[in-house]
Amino acid sequence: MSELREVISSGNDLAARAAVDAGCMFFGGYPLTPSSEIMHTVSDLLPTVGGAAIQMEDEIGGVAAAIGAAMSGVRSLTATSGPGMSLKAENLGLGQMAETPVVVINVMRGGPSTGLPTRVAQGDIAQAKNPSHGDYKSITLCAGNLAECYTETVRAFNLADRFMQPVIVLLDETIGHMHAKAMIPTAEAVKAGIKPRKVFEGDPADYKPYGVEQDEPAVLNPMFTGYRYHYTGLHHDADGFPTEEIETCRKLIDRLFNKVDAHKEELELNEEYMIDDADILLVGYGSASLAIKEAVNALRAEGIKVGMFRPITLWPSPEKRLHELGQKFDKVLSVELNQGQYLEEIQRCMGRLDIEKLTKTNGRPFSPADIIEKVKEVF
Amino acid sequence: MSVMEAPENTPVWTDENRCKACDICVSVCPAGVLSMRYDAKTVLGAMITVSNPESCIGCHECELSCPDFAIYVAERKEFKFAKLTDQAKQRQQEIVANNYMMLEA
Amino acid sequence: MAFNYDQYLRVNKMPTLWCWGCGDGVILKAFIRAIDKLGIKKDDLCIVAGIGCSGRFSSYVDANTVHTTHGRTIAFATGIKLANPDKTVVCVAGDGDALAIGGNHTIHGCRRNIDITLILINNFIYGLTNSQTSPTTPRGFWTVSQKVGNVDPTFNGCKLAEAAGASFVARETVTAPKKLEKVIREAIKHKGFSFVETLSNCHINLGRKNKMGSAMANLDWIDSISMPKKKWDELPDEEKQNYLPTGVLKHDDSALEYCDAYQMVKDAHQGKRGKITQDDFAKKI
Repeated sequence: MSELREVISSGNDLAARAAVDAGCMFFGGYPLTPSSEIMHTVSDLLPTVGGAAIQMEDEIGGVAAAIGAAMSGVRSLTATSGPGMSLKAENLGLGQMAETPVVVINVMRGGPSTGLPTRVAQGDIAQAKNPSHGDYKSITLCAGNLAECYTETVRAFNLADRFMQPVIVLLDETIGHMHAKAMIPTAEAVKAGIKPRKVFEGDPADYKPYGVEQDEPAVLNPMFTGYRYHYTGLHHDADGFPTEEIETCRKLIDRLFNKVDAHKEELELNEEYMIDDADILLVGYGSASLAIKEAVNALRAEGIKVGMFRPITLWPSPEKRLHELGQKFDKVLSVELNQGQYLEEIQRCMGRLDIEKLTKTNGRPFSPADIIEKVKEVF
Repeated sequence: MSVMEAPENTPVWTDENRCKACDICVSVCPAGVLSMRYDAKTVLGAMITVSNPESCIGCHECELSCPDFAIYVAERKEFKFAKLTDQAKQRQQEIVANNYMMLEA
Repeated sequence: MAFNYDQYLRVNKMPTLWCWGCGDGVILKAFIRAIDKLGIKKDDLCIVAGIGCSGRFSSYVDANTVHTTHGRTIAFATGIKLANPDKTVVCVAGDGDALAIGGNHTIHGCRRNIDITLILINNFIYGLTNSQTSPTTPRGFWTVSQKVGNVDPTFNGCKLAEAAGASFVARETVTAPKKLEKVIREAIKHKGFSFVETLSNCHINLGRKNKMGSAMANLDWIDSISMPKKKWDELPDEEKQNYLPTGVLKHDDSALEYCDAYQMVKDAHQGKRGKITQDDFAKKI
């Protein structure tokens, strides 16, 4: 029996369907172009399976309701675009601090500010790394094609429950509104792959929700099941109760970072296209990677040996792999629809400042010609 | 109904680990049952004292007004509370005038 | 025997961090008595508190408790309640939390008439952060943000809630703990959005610089600016503005509650009923 099925759909629609297939039972959000279709679809699908979707009075209310539902124990989703991410910043910090699993889809559009609501950009990469004030350890995935709008959303729900924190899924206007054929896993396959959050099953008197090892996430039982504890955004002790005690506070933030850093291999996901014998490396992600691939094919046909590296998990970044590639390739070109946000990470990982960049921030996607021209110009 | 065992033959009793010496219970008692004593070890230098338990009429005002769960009154049907006397009312006035501190013996 | 409050408290966190004489403790006590009388199990209870002294309320109760970001209690509570409609969800927020930064969420919680109880602890100031003006601080009071005297006009939280659609609106004070307990009990029992404003004393921050630095003086002031609604109704108009009426100000059992309304949506999607139209509602606009 095939575990894949062929569908004709848009990226936003696929993301919504993925959430429901992955066991999401709550959506809280607010309309924001170009993400609204996710809310529309999910509002139709959830009540059919007994879940709830609510359009709140503002973006902040949207993520707050989603986090509230997640705190009570259900898989929860919110979806928005750039301006909404900015508004959600504080509560994403609460999600990180209280260790609440919630999936946040950002369908990126031209920015900053009102920007270009109906046009594509990849300008929220740096924001996704640090959406909140304070130290924030981000898990950010980026869908690079239609099918990934589905599979990355499913992966996000499992990662959110595994690491007990918000997981950001980046789409963009191109991929969110693209309507075409895609091969995606069956709903049954997705359901069979659901890995829910860990729960404590012992005596409630022994339960310490935040009293875990330094490389582990909190074990937070759903509300109303006999395990009563406290959620707070303040620094807290093993019971979740606020504290300023020196050692507890130090270990808390260390653990919020370490729980991810110690298990990066569970998060890393990249695509490497024609890298093995290449002389020139292109690095890109999201919908830009579709044009990059076309450019690679076209250049190869002319005898120019180009390859593409595409991180799918953007944060934490594939530090080691990028570093290796930096050693292997003299000629590296970063291609992104922003002013060079991931470029900074590439420079850091490769330990080099001589990486070429192709940027574009006028709300139009890259054409393969843009990239071919640039490669010929700089290399 | 959530209940706890009362100390024997006591109309009103306190938890000195919780009392913050805010004076509210002393100020609401109609019968001069309560007053504050000096206590060098507390933040405000005072501690609640049930100085005249025999005058307690069981009105529960002290318990209802205490923000810190530091004073408890026995159930009406389990204790023979006193009636409010003029002498008790007078003593209450004196305690209030004495800044809620215990009157000299 | 005496009432056992400890059964509902996280006793290892006592004494509370609130100042001596702070009304928050009296409200907590009244709340516990109300919950006990209603027979609500601790496991079925969720308390969502905001930021401020009132925000520490939830950490002291042995229930499923949350301490949210500033102003967002009702938004979080909406998610918790909608995902668990048969549980009791109570919000506790201060005057700044619910009427300033959280004003929008308060308005829409009332509008939706979702079955949540909001206990708005109004101490007329931003207490925890040392005396900044709040939307209920009387004009002419000293605050740290307007040291020559506050000129910001005040909100009437209960009127706001009524207008926005809350189906149960009440106001009581910490000087009447038995009445307070009764009103909290009715509020939680009521199915729909219950807005309970409780007038409380912050003598340490509001009071000290405004000639009421002792708990009793601050409590006396609260008594001097409030009176039961029946008495208030008889006041001449120009005097009404100087008193806050107490008691149950609105109680409408006929308003459709939001989780019930959303059940209609679920039923429609699951084929248990037809599409929802204007005919389902008496109020057409």
